[in-house]
Amino acid sequence: MSLTSRERILAAAKANKPEELPLPTVPDFGGEATVERFTTVLTGIGGTVVRMGGLQELGETLQQLFPEARNVASPLFRGTVPVNRETPTGILAEIDLAVLPGEIGVAENGCVWLPEANMLHRALPTITQHLALVLDQRQIVATMHQAYAQLPHTGGYGKFVAGPSKTADIEQSLVIGAHGARSLVVVLY
Amino acid sequence: MSHAIRADKFLLDADRTTWHDETLWFVREKRDRAVYAVPEFQELRELASGIKNHTLSRLDLYLQEFEAAAKANGVHVHWAADAAEHNAIILDITRKAGATRIVKSKSMLTEECHLNPFLIQHGIEVVDTDLGERIIQFRDEPPSHIVLPAIHLKKEDVGDTFHTHLGTDKGENDPQRLTEAARQHLRAKFLAGEVAISGVNFAIAETGAVVVCTNEGNADLGVNLARVHIAAMGIEKIIPRLSDLGVFTRLLARSATGQPVTTYTSHFAKPAPGKEMHIVIVDNGRTQQLGRPDFRASLKCIRCGACMNTCPVYRRSGGHSYDFTVPGPIGAILSPNIDMKKHSSLPFASTLCGSCTDVCPVKIDIHTQLYKWRQVLGEANEIPASKKWGMKFMGRVLASTRVYGLGGQFARKALRLLPHGLTHAPSMNAWAVARELPEAPKQSFREWYAKQPAPAAPSKTSA
Repeated sequence: MSLTSRERILAAAKANKPEELPLPTVPDFGGEATVERFTTVLTGIGGTVVRMGGLQELGETLQQLFPEARNVASPLFRGTVPVNRETPTGILAEIDLAVLPGEIGVAENGCVWLPEANMLHRALPTITQHLALVLDQRQIVATMHQAYAQLPHTGGYGKFVAGPSKTADIEQSLVIGAHGARSLVVVLY
Repeated sequence: MSHAIRADKFLLDADRTTWHDETLWFVREKRDRAVYAVPEFQELRELASGIKNHTLSRLDLYLQEFEAAAKANGVHVHWAADAAEHNAIILDITRKAGATRIVKSKSMLTEECHLNPFLIQHGIEVVDTDLGERIIQFRDEPPSHIVLPAIHLKKEDVGDTFHTHLGTDKGENDPQRLTEAARQHLRAKFLAGEVAISGVNFAIAETGAVVVCTNEGNADLGVNLARVHIAAMGIEKIIPRLSDLGVFTRLLARSATGQPVTTYTSHFAKPAPGKEMHIVIVDNGRTQQLGRPDFRASLKCIRCGACMNTCPVYRRSGGHSYDFTVPGPIGAILSPNIDMKKHSSLPFASTLCGSCTDVCPVKIDIHTQLYKWRQVLGEANEIPASKKWGMKFMGRVLASTRVYGLGGQFARKALRLLPHGLTHAPSMNAWAVARELPEAPKQSFREWYAKQPAPAAPSKTSA
């Protein structure tokens, strides 16, 4: 009876692997978990940080930031387009602005953890023209180590988002707005 | 064809070569600035190296742990021994899904397996969605860099390509407007995509999730709109725990482009309800490399491209001169494992300066491995006769003080007396093709030293 590829690969890996080596412990390196650091880094990579007093100011803040947004989707308030995981692609493609709650901000690199449960639809954070992530400033940690320490599991799908979609594939010229959201605003409260 | 001969073609355009060199050095400098901003960067490199070494030492076990976790997440797991099997599995999944349109984000593995031509040959439309990859796909070229696939092209080249394929205005060379044209074109492809293929940056044994890092968001858009997601991963992409990912995400983008992190770091564990997710785990020569103690460490590579950006040879010869999916220093140690004869000149495409080793975020001893490959290739008679006999001859000269002294005397005289046309004849002295030979000194250091008065005895009252 011939072996399957699975059996052959596993047997070869077992036969050819070196003697077992220890798994290092990853320390918590500490670091600066401040709004200032988060803001500086995120601004440096093309994102925007806006601060507001509390969630009750969200509507007004968004109105000022995105006065022209017509098709808005959000789990935080009743948007102009209801989106759920069944929403057809054609409707998603017309969304101007998605306003989604972020869960953890990382000061060292300006990224925000966005779990599936906060997205309405998995494609929404990238298919929308503009993305606003709403984050409690007390949820800012210093490094990725601390962020992952708060995530026992990343769920079915989830991502760290650091700034707007961008590319430098044409002669290394930085262009904001490749395929995903053309802008990213993190609204801190 | 050797690396040097292919590099000659790239070097014909001196302006472009200079631009290529300077641009990659600029990326290297960005990398340095990003690295110096992290106090514990050297510690992170050590950790990353240790985690990868550990993982390789239990690779079979972690692969099984990963498979079990992924299956528990509702993911279909496939195993492919080689490129042909990888391609066949992907075609089969696509056909079973009744699909004919695939959107694909960047994956060096699918490039290594020549997946695109295979699928196209079987009537499937495959669209590369990374902007750089789309550009070279239009031009029917392979990538010349693993992170910056179209780095060999100028904006005028992209303008011409888009004019032909996307109908942009002739002479339109503005990167912003060209990118916008690509955005509109690719959006239509994303919306119509039935199957999405992605690569894998990291696969987490503990959770069964695969992590994909992009700046453009093309993987996220493709995967989340299509009905079927196929992730293609080499067996070496495994890391044990979610917490290990903190180390690698801190190193990857900083080493690659000098960014603090990629725009999107996406964790795919379960298919969305009503959709399918497949992971194809591929060997294609990797277990063989695992069994070569001298070259095993090359499997730790996280494909950041830092070694290419810093390499003086890569920067001046261009990625296509390597004629291998992964070019540059890391490619020059991976490629002879696949085909020693075909890639025999690549381990010599290095100054052995060690800069690649210095910047490698997982501490692969790249230049040492290049040196070791040279020995292996020499033993296997895979180096040109002129190099082989030249080395043997130099070995004899350098082993004998007397012969070395005589040779020096002879060379100093010959350099002064022989005509330029002879000492610089390209057929006899390839070294002098683009260089001037030094002016020969009248005497050697040894002759000079012998004429010096003996040094005074050291004083006992040293400070």
